Amino acid sequence: MKYYLAFLFCCFMASGADSHPSTPSPSNTTNTYSYPSLAKQTVLLTVHGALDHALIAPLFRAFITQHPHTQIQYTQLNTNALYQTFLDAPQERPDIMMSPAMDLQFKLVNDGFALRNDSPPPQSLPMDSQWRQELFGFTYEPIVMVINTDILTGSPLPTSREQLLTLIRDKDHLLDGKIGLFDIKKIGLGYLAWSYDSQQSRTYGRLLEAFGNHKAQLYTDTHTMLEALLKGDLFIAYNLVGSYAFQWSKKYPWIVTLMPTDYTSIIMRTAFINRQTTHPKTAKFFIDFLLSHQGQSLLEASGITPLDRHITGQNSRQALQKLPHGIFRPIPLGLELLIQTDSAKKQLIYDEWDEALGSSMSPSQ
Amino acid sequence: MSKTRSLRRQLLVMTFIVLLFISSLALWGAHIYANRTTKISYDRLLYGAALQMAENITLVNGKVIIDLPISAFETLSLSSSDRAFYSIMNTQYQVLTGYKDLPDIPFPQLIRESQQNQPIKPLYYESNYRGERVRFIILSKRLLEADKSKTVFVIVGQTMEARAKAAKEFNQIALQFVSVFFIITMLLLLFVIWQVLRPLQSIKQAITERSSLDLSALDIHVPSEIAPLVGSINYFMAQLDNTLQRLERFTAESAHQIRTPLAGLISQAQNALDEKDAALRKQQLENILESSQLLTQTVNQLLNRATLTHRFQSHPFSLLSLDELIKDTCRELVVWALEKHVEIAYVGDAKTNILGDEFALKQMLHNIIENAVKYSPEHGTVEVELMTQSTASNQALSNQATLQIRDQGVGVCDEDKLHIFEYFYRSADNVAAGSGIGLSIAKEVAEHHKAAFHLKDNQPTGLIVEIVFLCVEESKQ
Repeated sequence: MKYYLAFLFCCFMASGADSHPSTPSPSNTTNTYSYPSLAKQTVLLTVHGALDHALIAPLFRAFITQHPHTQIQYTQLNTNALYQTFLDAPQERPDIMMSPAMDLQFKLVNDGFALRNDSPPPQSLPMDSQWRQELFGFTYEPIVMVINTDILTGSPLPTSREQLLTLIRDKDHLLDGKIGLFDIKKIGLGYLAWSYDSQQSRTYGRLLEAFGNHKAQLYTDTHTMLEALLKGDLFIAYNLVGSYAFQWSKKYPWIVTLMPTDYTSIIMRTAFINRQTTHPKTAKFFIDFLLSHQGQSLLEASGITPLDRHITGQNSRQALQKLPHGIFRPIPLGLELLIQTDSAKKQLIYDEWDEALGSSMSPSQ
Repeated sequence: MSKTRSLRRQLLVMTFIVLLFISSLALWGAHIYANRTTKISYDRLLYGAALQMAENITLVNGKVIIDLPISAFETLSLSSSDRAFYSIMNTQYQVLTGYKDLPDIPFPQLIRESQQNQPIKPLYYESNYRGERVRFIILSKRLLEADKSKTVFVIVGQTMEARAKAAKEFNQIALQFVSVFFIITMLLLLFVIWQVLRPLQSIKQAITERSSLDLSALDIHVPSEIAPLVGSINYFMAQLDNTLQRLERFTAESAHQIRTPLAGLISQAQNALDEKDAALRKQQLENILESSQLLTQTVNQLLNRATLTHRFQSHPFSLLSLDELIKDTCRELVVWALEKHVEIAYVGDAKTNILGDEFALKQMLHNIIENAVKYSPEHGTVEVELMTQSTASNQALSNQATLQIRDQGVGVCDEDKLHIFEYFYRSADNVAAGSGIGLSIAKEVAEHHKAAFHLKDNQPTGLIVEIVFLCVEESKQ
């Protein structure tokens, strides 16, 4: 049912040869990358995450430099697959679990799968970015909407959800099949952002109705959606993770990434140590490194907004503050997340979703 | 010598122990209260969350619709680092949503309560779940829709870290409070103890500060509890003062008593030197001899008294036969008495033993009998009689022995009886030679032996000296 396409990525720090492989093809959602240790191999640290390996690779390399006896194996999966693999295949559980699906991560930790890391988190991180010293937030990423400005033709660029609805109403049939969304049933992050919207605002119902009326397309990963925007298959993508979208916008200026000005949801990517890890010490070192100034700086350099507000740079929180935005509403890292995992609640949201988007289909690949 | 125990230290140790006990009691109470309070308050949070969940469960077209509110979870997240678990179940114990493997659900109890058809109260219980101790609440809700009804159970559980932390904080505050209370109370008590013991210090101060000759009463203000002590000290000092005064008077009197005959002796000797007439000179020399004998007697009496005083303090009593002692003394004196044409008669044949100092008693008898002889008229008789219980009529006197020494002299008038025991007291119309010290010594000896000393009038004239001794009982002989 599930198989891993072994993809060995070797990195030689000493030579400094930065031989990045090209971005894996979008259909290839399961990839495993190895980072051999610099010294005689002693410890193999397995990491599962949803983050593009290319973006996190510098962090791994830096960690290996500091801990030469460590070898890292990184497996990249989408958020739902991460969760399901963790539950269904106990023998394949990683030492470190990273995911932006805060609710699923929280559920795993609440259910007792995490190991406590007693070293105090850095002072520069907000107090509520960790839970029980078991689950640690390490990024600060806005949920955004992305618009291909070709659709505007004179209409003003929408900045809020309300204005987005106005635009959809104005353009009407031009947007049929041209709105892209995460398939919330398949992508944990999509569900998280969508259900959080349902808690936050009344526009949620009208948005859902508008998406349904215009036969919104459902996607399972960000890259495909961004490429569809570029190609003109889509004009509007809603609830994307900011980190990728901002980079895309930089490359293609007519693809505009917007933080809605009514409110901007913020998600944190989170990490925890598997309780059954055989290398608790190394795993704790890794978490500490991830949260350290160096680790946070490396994330920023990769284009991911780090949690640490003291980091500067064009992808930092300080830079985000300067862009137009609404009230930042970070999804709280706490028991509130349990409601997102509630099956009855999920069914209610799915039912509304299906009712509105019943005719929608995933785009043919 | 035993170690002296400091009153201050004892008070300190006792108050310290009492305070420690009270503080421990307070801490223990606070601990219990803290646990109870945190339990109640966190149970309420749990109850609140469960109620909010139950509130949002409805029955629509016979189907249970569960739309859990975020506020329920926000309530739970008030204990920020506690894990939480929940489950909604129907009466067939099927999990409608939430955790499917919650342990130890007390269904039997629930069923029992629901059968009693009473409004079901929430039930609390604790169990181990997923590696931690969890406190659960279960409550039931009856869902109504037209003619249908269904019952669901809401179970919410939470780990107890926040409770423990809150209780710990409470206990720490209690500990801090009790510590401060302890220190302040201890300081206050130190002050109070110092204050209470200060009068003792002031007594010591008052005594050390005064001169060694000052025996006047202490005049210091002390609490009523210590006043008796000061009273005792003052009484003792008054006694001492009295004794010293008597001693002083005695010394002066003694000196005077010795100096007067000495002066007489000197002048008589001077006269004798100048006297040409041999017969007169002889007379004068005889006078000198007589005076010298009198003086010797006085000095002997004084020495005897000194010896006796010393013996009283140093000599233990021994068992002796009183009647033998009296007879011996009479025998010793009978010749001397006859020289003075006085007869000594020993009357009665009672035998009795007493505890006493033989030397002192003999001295006493000597003095009394001598005295009696001295004041007896010529050809008079001094009667010495010892009576024991066999002769005494009164049963109460059964273990007493009464000694009477009776003379037929002029007797002693009642006024003189009051003063006759004072040293060197001599009645104004006394013509006999004497030191005026003998009877005083006799009385002292009697008192030392706890014997009663009485003076009575003899018929038709004369004095009866009566001494009542306490006898040693027969069995002890």
